[in-house]
Amino acid sequence: VHPNVSQGCQGGCATCSDYNGCLSCKPRLFFVLERIGMKQIGVCLSSCPSGYYGTRYPDINKCAKCKADCETCFTRNFCTKCKSGFYLHSGKCLEKCPDGLEANNHTMECTSVVH
Amino acid sequence: QKAIIRVIPLKVEPIVLEGEFANVAEVTPAEGKLLQSHPLSLCNTSEDEHTESGFITIVKLEQPDRDPNPCLSLANKAKLAGERGARAILFDITDDESAADQLRKPRGLSQPVVLIRGHDAELLMGVVNKNREAHVKIEVKEPPSWPDYDVWILL
Repeated sequence: VHPNVSQGCQGGCATCSDYNGCLSCKPRLFFVLERIGMKQIGVCLSSCPSGYYGTRYPDINKCAKCKADCETCFTRNFCTKCKSGFYLHSGKCLEKCPDGLEANNHTMECTSVVH
Repeated sequence: QKAIIRVIPLKVEPIVLEGEFANVAEVTPAEGKLLQSHPLSLCNTSEDEHTESGFITIVKLEQPDRDPNPCLSLANKAKLAGERGARAILFDITDDESAADQLRKPRGLSQPVVLIRGHDAELLMGVVNKNREAHVKIEVKEPPSWPDYDVWILL
């Protein structure tokens, strides 16, 4: 077994260890920290799970969490779907739509007022 | 300075381990719930979903060649862990003895940093691996009142 890849390695890992899981990922995969009870391990995924967004760095691609009021996002500051109780407007999650826009409770977005 | 680490898993016999306080931080007791942190979680580009504070984090350090470009120094990783609510940081340095040197320079971190290695570390990581909730108490081991002489001459 290659010293850098112990038997416990999951498919996407480039290197891993028994206690920490993945330490680095194969090319193009995203590194995600997964907490299971008191344990925290690294896993490598082809895309980030819901509620996370991906960022590519020179040495690693990482998934990070969307903001607390956002369910799915493109980047930390651009939400694509808000959590319950918030309305989406220009990538932001608002409790109340700005003046001139109305809250669409179906799509949970702020939309132009239709006369 | 030696540390006594009491690990009290739920419904299982406690275990008593020994470690060593690192000079990077204060030598002070601490206690809290045991929580593992992946070495890469202690980077500015990572966040840990765990939001409660008051835990004691254990970080299993890998061989240095497996993380050639660490995101932060160990001292700054310990600092970051404290900022995220850790009451103390345990580093398992079994596979990275160089960590002891990296954490020798005093930095006045308020949360104690304790190094653990070998069989003690193996026992502790065994608790982590079983993912069994555990409470940890870190105590300062007082040096023996009698100095450590190997030979005594009785007249």
